[in-house]
Amino acid sequence: MSLPLQELAESATAESIVRMAFADLGQPSAPVATVVTSLIPSRSLEAGEQYRFHFDMTKCIGCRSCEIACNEQNGNPADIHWRRVGEIEGGTYPNTLRHYLSMGCNHCLDAECVKGCPVDAYTKDPVTGIVLHSATACIGCQYCVWNCPYSVPQFNAERGVVGKCDMCHGRLTDGREPACVNSCPEAAIEIEIVNTAAWRVDYAAAESPGMPAAGHTISTTRITLPLNSTTQLERVDTGRIQPEHAHLSLVFMTTLIQSVTGSLLFALLFDGAQPMLLALLLVITSIALNISVFHLGRPAYAWRAMKMWRRSWLSREVLLFGLFFCAIAAFTFAVWLQHLRLIVLAPPLLAAIGWMAVALGIAGTIASAYIYLVPARPAWNMAHTPIDFLLSGLLIGSTLPVTLDRIAGAFSRLALLQPFHLQATATYPHWLPGLAAVAWIANQTVRLVRLNRSSLFEDRAAAALMNTQDLRPVVIASFALPAAAGLLPLCGAFTFATLAAVAAVILARYLFFVSVVPLNMALTFTRGGAH
Amino acid sequence: MWTRIRRALGIDTRQSEYTFEHDPRFGHIAATRVADRWVKTTCGYCSVGCGMLVGVKDNKAVTVRGNPDHPVNRGKLCPKGLSEHHILDAPGRAKLPLLRKNGKLVPVSWDEALTVMIEKISVVQRRYGNDALGVISTGQLVTEEFYTLGKLVQLGFGSRNYDGNTTLCMASAVSGYKLTFGSDGPPGSYADMETADVILLIGANIADNHPILCQRLERNRINNPDSTVIVVDPRVTKTAMMADIHLPIKPRGDIALLNGIAHLLIRDGHIDRDYIERHTTGFEEFAAFVAEFTPEHVAQVTGLSEETIINTAYLYGKAKAAFIGWTMGVNHSTQGAATVTAINNLSLITGNIGRAGAAPFSITGQCNAMGSRESSFTSALPGYRKFEKPQDREDLARIWNIDANRIPTARGLAYPDIIEAAVNGKVKALWFIATNPVVSFPNYSVLVQALESVDFLVVQDGFHPTPTSEFAHLVLPAAIWGEKEGTYTNSERRVSKVNPVVVPPGEARTDFDIFLALAEKLGVREELYPGWQSTHDAFREWQRVSEGRMCDYSKFTWQQLEDEGGAQWGGDRLYADGVFPTATGKAALYSVPCLPFVEQPNEEYDLIFNTGRTVEHWHTRTKTAEVKMLDNMVPNAWLEMNPIDAARLELRPHDRVNVVSRRSTVRDIELRITGIVAPGQVFMPFHFAETNSNLVTLGAFDPISREPNFKQCAVRIEKFSRTIT
Repeated sequence: MSLPLQELAESATAESIVRMAFADLGQPSAPVATVVTSLIPSRSLEAGEQYRFHFDMTKCIGCRSCEIACNEQNGNPADIHWRRVGEIEGGTYPNTLRHYLSMGCNHCLDAECVKGCPVDAYTKDPVTGIVLHSATACIGCQYCVWNCPYSVPQFNAERGVVGKCDMCHGRLTDGREPACVNSCPEAAIEIEIVNTAAWRVDYAAAESPGMPAAGHTISTTRITLPLNSTTQLERVDTGRIQPEHAHLSLVFMTTLIQSVTGSLLFALLFDGAQPMLLALLLVITSIALNISVFHLGRPAYAWRAMKMWRRSWLSREVLLFGLFFCAIAAFTFAVWLQHLRLIVLAPPLLAAIGWMAVALGIAGTIASAYIYLVPARPAWNMAHTPIDFLLSGLLIGSTLPVTLDRIAGAFSRLALLQPFHLQATATYPHWLPGLAAVAWIANQTVRLVRLNRSSLFEDRAAAALMNTQDLRPVVIASFALPAAAGLLPLCGAFTFATLAAVAAVILARYLFFVSVVPLNMALTFTRGGAH
Repeated sequence: MWTRIRRALGIDTRQSEYTFEHDPRFGHIAATRVADRWVKTTCGYCSVGCGMLVGVKDNKAVTVRGNPDHPVNRGKLCPKGLSEHHILDAPGRAKLPLLRKNGKLVPVSWDEALTVMIEKISVVQRRYGNDALGVISTGQLVTEEFYTLGKLVQLGFGSRNYDGNTTLCMASAVSGYKLTFGSDGPPGSYADMETADVILLIGANIADNHPILCQRLERNRINNPDSTVIVVDPRVTKTAMMADIHLPIKPRGDIALLNGIAHLLIRDGHIDRDYIERHTTGFEEFAAFVAEFTPEHVAQVTGLSEETIINTAYLYGKAKAAFIGWTMGVNHSTQGAATVTAINNLSLITGNIGRAGAAPFSITGQCNAMGSRESSFTSALPGYRKFEKPQDREDLARIWNIDANRIPTARGLAYPDIIEAAVNGKVKALWFIATNPVVSFPNYSVLVQALESVDFLVVQDGFHPTPTSEFAHLVLPAAIWGEKEGTYTNSERRVSKVNPVVVPPGEARTDFDIFLALAEKLGVREELYPGWQSTHDAFREWQRVSEGRMCDYSKFTWQQLEDEGGAQWGGDRLYADGVFPTATGKAALYSVPCLPFVEQPNEEYDLIFNTGRTVEHWHTRTKTAEVKMLDNMVPNAWLEMNPIDAARLELRPHDRVNVVSRRSTVRDIELRITGIVAPGQVFMPFHFAETNSNLVTLGAFDPISREPNFKQCAVRIEKFSRTIT
């Protein structure tokens, strides 16, 4: 497949293409041909090749014209910059070195955004290798934002969808250079052709100070670094790390659905799977699933999220939690019908449905945790995440059934419900919440210690964020509350224990979201223009 | 309502606002940026003078492009230029005349505004004399407006106390040129930066301030791989990083360095004796004077090694064509004019002037600072004429058809002296046009005293409120770049056409219209501006006034300027024949002593304070703060400090600090600990009214040019605390 660009380039002289410049812009009838050295490839792509950016750090003067040109090209709001300029510096005065990075999308060979997208909104263009994103297909789940090690995709809240650099695909196919290339006064940015197989073997030229390691997704951007420099160049923006978005809908959704899974597990173990409890758990599950939808920029299209279950953990989570809801609903109905003696099921069959629901809940929780196991967000990408998700279910689940039974008890005393004999009879061990709390606290403690001692800047920065004035009280509360949740049942205060456990998990989950420090390219000192 | 629900649910993603179309000229682009007509014009920010095309759709400016055919920028623009269309419909534009009544600014009609202005000024002038009116103009108007304003102030209002904010910027360059060559006028061209073997940039951070000039250095490097770029700057600027050699000089060591180079070149015979003989005066005295500037002495003053000094001298002396460019590092000094003559000395003794690649060259600040130098009636008579020369006054009187006695025989007060006169009660009415002294003038407290002392303060500006317009008794809303027609002159004497793109917002009027309306009310319109309707009438008279002068506008028409990407008066470079407009026809060599800067650090104020710019912002941000993208990129100022000083003061990155000088304090500024600045020095960008560097700067002025010494004063840095002490 050939592109107009290449046809144009092929018909022109080698190494350059002929452009038209209009001497009089009022009358484009008198074109003057001027030959300019081209900053876009002059031949067509062959099989096994793709386009890439080349950034020449030795030419860039940090003027940021490319950033403005990109925003104007794409009509983006002022706070969204698909091309960003960063600063790196090192050395001691007067032998100080400062350089700039100007980066759009790296159009990676193994693009994580493509793999993680639950709705297949991303495609790696088979001809050009450009990673394209479709705003129409996108549901605004922002999983790509979490997945990209360069923080390239940016969520446009006004639109409810993500957007990113497409190498000005529409201009390239028209034989024109991308807006950033066009605007650069120093010709520091150009488009070139890369042989993907060769690049996969040796992508050392993609590495640069101030850039995350290229190997993870195999960034295709080639960066020309200053020659023979022994000065260590470092980021200047690291003191400006801000908390990330709290994603409150996800905080509540994950907390609630994990609570239900844990509660159901213990209810089955201790013979507590009785009609009113199950009804309440079903209500909580449907609330949780409804809340989760509002995490999306486009809630109306939540159903699309299951599409890519073969490769996206987000799709799998949605699918498994959907099935979990079906199973718990089926189990609840079955138990009710049994209780009302409308049907009679063999006890093993009934138990099987219940255990099936538990299994789906655990599977969903694990899928849910896997969403966060992304290398681009190191503080999430730890075994502690799935452990936390499971232990949170146990911590809350160890007391929640008791509390719910009490609520159910209040309900069952209503005149209307008295004939159904809905009183709960199950008893749960008092030591269980304590055990869960110890495990939960241990997991969180080890995580904090590991973050603190990590060799990765992003991990340490996450720990540092939690140690800021604003977040430190939350951290302290997130440790005190589970201890309370473990101790209170020993004196029979299950309801307070439940409240403490839920609060603990919500606070810890809030911290989990806000304190993560994503991998990113180096930005400027003020981090201006960055999302 | 329905739309809001659809947006909340994500059914509507504002897709229609994010579609792309094919622009016939520039290809695939966001549909919102597709223009239905293009207007050729010149950028209104800095003095590089880039040619641009502004795209207009439905009478709204929607996009800006560098004009690929313009010789200055060849299609490239800096981020400010690329987003310039956003300032036209910015929310902060001044739209109505406002008059202070009972302490509050309230909208009034133009008629009332101008009537009150004339009345108040007349009262002041009757009571205190004509010179009690002080007028501070700008580098932002079109040349035709400067020309019109000059006549209005000097002949209409009859006040000599008229100056421009250009005195804060390039007055030292003007004075230096006048001293050495007998006239203002930057001798070189940008093209010289492409052909020179050695480019010496002194106190010029072009990568931040004039980024579009950097491509000249790049082209030079390609064409001439052996060329050398030397940057002299106490700070490791973006430009210093581009240099082959960076000379991290001690502040105000530049004169010593220049004299030291001159001494070495004279001593070792790398000078052009023939040129010196035929085209300069005062060489023997000069040679004797600079003999004291031995490498040893210069090393001591500049902090550079002797080897570096000798190496630099030889590079410069042996170059076939050597170029010296400078900006505010030189001009913003009490020795600014003297430093310029020291630069000129070096060019003259090596014959590096009037040839391709060889020139001493000041790079100016504002888009039309040069136009004000040529045509305004402030420090000189229009057309580079001198107040002191009867012949010049008579020339003008003849063209203007007035009595020559009406033309003053000496200039009035310069900008800082007008401010001082206002504080002393000698100037009782002030009129500021397109400038924002509350942020741009040194030593804020004195300036504010001046603003509060006068009986009547008029601020004419494209934006309101500005920190200055908030003090005004009368605010006149003016049109800005993109709404006016005329010409700008850039740093290389290139006169370019400026065209209106849209109409001014609200009731804002062009400065030209305001000047004519005032003339009408004063009863001088027909006398001063016979039959004038548009700036083109001003241009035609200005052509006659400048005819035969160095800045001769009679050689081109507006149309030619527009079609040909402007024209340089005086051609590619001045003084190719070695004949200078002095009494002797020769250029003067001056003996320039190197003095330490005025306010040296001591124990209490232990750091040297330096100010400058950042590429994203323009001057006092009245424009760029209105462009969300630019403001978002750099939303606040910072203070740069070397790690050694930070360790000594026990400060950490991002600490909030106060900058304290003998005059006042800049509070609550973010600390950037960096090797960009030298130990013992701190730097902050001056754009931000919120953290106004001029609270602490020194009110010391060059005795020749009257330019303020913005660059060095003594400060100490304290940790900011919220409690007010």
